[in-house]
Amino acid sequence: MTREEVFEHVKGILVETLSVDEEKVTMDARFQEDLETDSLDLVELVMTMEEKFGIKITDEEAADIKTVGDAVDFVMTRVDA
Amino acid sequence: MRGSRNRPYTSPHWVTDAWSAVTDDRVVRVVVDAAGGDNAPGEIVKGALDACGPQLNVILVGDEPRVRALLPEGVQHVSVVHAPDVIGYHEEPATAARARTGSSIVVGLKMVHNGEAEAFVSAGNTGAVVAASVLYVRRIPGVKRPAICTIMPAMPAPVAFLDVGANAEVRAEFLRQFAIMGQAFAREVMGIPEPTIGLLSIGEEPTKGTPDVIEAHQLIAGDHRISHFYGNIEGRDIMNRLVDVIVTDGFTGNVGLKTIEGSARAILGALKATVMVSAKTKLGGLLLQKDLQVLKDALNPEEFGGALLVGMNAPVVIAHGNSKARGIAQAVRMGRRGAVSDLLPTIARELGTQTAAV
Repeated sequence: MTREEVFEHVKGILVETLSVDEEKVTMDARFQEDLETDSLDLVELVMTMEEKFGIKITDEEAADIKTVGDAVDFVMTRVDA
Repeated sequence: MRGSRNRPYTSPHWVTDAWSAVTDDRVVRVVVDAAGGDNAPGEIVKGALDACGPQLNVILVGDEPRVRALLPEGVQHVSVVHAPDVIGYHEEPATAARARTGSSIVVGLKMVHNGEAEAFVSAGNTGAVVAASVLYVRRIPGVKRPAICTIMPAMPAPVAFLDVGANAEVRAEFLRQFAIMGQAFAREVMGIPEPTIGLLSIGEEPTKGTPDVIEAHQLIAGDHRISHFYGNIEGRDIMNRLVDVIVTDGFTGNVGLKTIEGSARAILGALKATVMVSAKTKLGGLLLQKDLQVLKDALNPEEFGGALLVGMNAPVVIAHGNSKARGIAQAVRMGRRGAVSDLLPTIARELGTQTAAV
């Protein structure tokens, strides 16, 4: 899966599951400040990513995911591994 | 609306009778968290037994041996599913909901998600029920935030009040969605055909309130999905039932709800003390006893059983932590009502098409 493909998947989750405005979702967008997601949204995002990509994300790893780019990069390291 | 002759208020039963009187033949399975609440599992099981029947099958989720020990032999319409774990009152909701997969709340909500039941009832940790509902039952697509919608005892009849605790902070858009979901709740669950919506603020004028409330006023006033918007209402209007549905954020709503519950209890206590003052007042109290009981019922939150978490893909009923059997039974009936009514399809229709509709 390419970085762009992973980005599209993450964007899809944000728009469909968390009702985030599509145009706001960029690689640099910060979850809390730019996308106005709360702690529950982030847990929902992490669980949906686990389901969608078949990966496991620990609470510590999740705490380091601050931007959409961080989420995409994290998935890339797991999907490639 | 049904009311007793000449009474200045209506018994809450005009709402709750509709839940109890099963007029359709659908069999609804309601999962009940047997481990949640101050009086679990005893009162929870008792309430579930009162409410269950051929059209309302209850699935009790909790410590199986303990729950089974409370069930009479050969009991029908009730089953038990084991959940070894309980989420406590002081746990961080989102973390607990994700990690505690063996808890009664998570096991029960997953059953609803998997189609093994249609509704869920819990008197446990409210935050955890909200978080686990979002994670396992999921929001109706288009719903930005679910809201806890309660039926509030008011004079002359109860009102719908949301959000009473799911979202401490809100944006104007969330309040607009709460208005739409509250309107659907009043119509489909309470049976009010043309509900009036009020936005709780600190003054009647549209310019009064926080920036989010002022913006929400404009959004709600301009939204064609909301049929009757009264405008802003103030705290003193809540109990006087100026409107059928009161919209606010979860922080204000929770403070308002608890203030009113506490005040009602204090006033009823003072009334009782007044009746007991002398032989004359006791005689007066005796004459009024039956009517005072109806007033007590009208002000008793237990009569409505619980609040509905609106915006989810299935009815999730949050009962009071201190619910007794009556409260749990009513909460279970509310769960069935939520499942057989058009509440969920209405919210999905109105919020799922948001971009096109605005």
